[in-house]
Amino acid sequence: MGERVQVVERASGQLVEATLHEGLTTRDLEVIERSWAAHRAELVAALMGAGVERRLWPESLHWDWGRKAPLLELLLVNAFGVACRGGWQAVMMTKTAGYDARVSSEAGKPLVYVDFVETAPWNWTISELGRLPVFKGLGSVLIRRAVQQSRAEGFRGRVGLHALPQAERFYGQVCGMTRVGPDAAKQDLVYFEFTRQQADAFISGGGDR
Amino acid sequence: MSTTERRTMTLNLTEAEMRVLEALAEKKDLSKTAVLRQALRLYQLIEHRTSQGERLVLEDDRLAKKAEVMVL
Repeated sequence: MGERVQVVERASGQLVEATLHEGLTTRDLEVIERSWAAHRAELVAALMGAGVERRLWPESLHWDWGRKAPLLELLLVNAFGVACRGGWQAVMMTKTAGYDARVSSEAGKPLVYVDFVETAPWNWTISELGRLPVFKGLGSVLIRRAVQQSRAEGFRGRVGLHALPQAERFYGQVCGMTRVGPDAAKQDLVYFEFTRQQADAFISGGGDR
Repeated sequence: MSTTERRTMTLNLTEAEMRVLEALAEKKDLSKTAVLRQALRLYQLIEHRTSQGERLVLEDDRLAKKAEVMVL
């Protein structure tokens, strides 16, 4: 069960049917991590072997979805995933309480906070290794889902997140979120936010499909 | 029951409680149901964290004030 979505198979440029699942369980996240861990390890070996500087490594390389799984026992935590061709291609974890908008026009009003979002390691672009993603468009599918979740919660599309530096361009320029600025309380990661109007524009524009 | 199925309950509130609920709904631009859902989620989070030995602290940087909140 899940929502049918489309992602782009990079090699062929064709749209591919995928399924967006909500309500992922602890077991789902453990399965995902088992599936992705071997690829992460292979990438670390390849990056070290190629002498790639650490600062250029994918910034989520050390993530472990199995360790995030216990958070799912909290009502405010939800996980979503995109699956196609028999595998999990991307995952997102959101929080629906305790986070308020910071953009002045909507400051103090609740939003969906995207705590973690990551595509499978084989969907990463790693130019230092000449690696290109198998599937593209996964980030947009999940951010679109976060906006939908925000609307369903009565938050009118407001979404906030802290971006890893390698993803700042995606949230600011591709999604059109407001770049609020570095957050000293979150390792100086840049905080981005969708206002209601920006979320509407993102969705009506196709969620950048 | 799936995570999206809803169950209905009747809630009895005092006048004062209802006034607070309505004020919060107005301030947060939420329905009263959504405010109560937020409250439940936050209560569960606080209960979960404090039961693991963490403390809930409110801090005011401007006044250099810090106070621990007791959760019953």
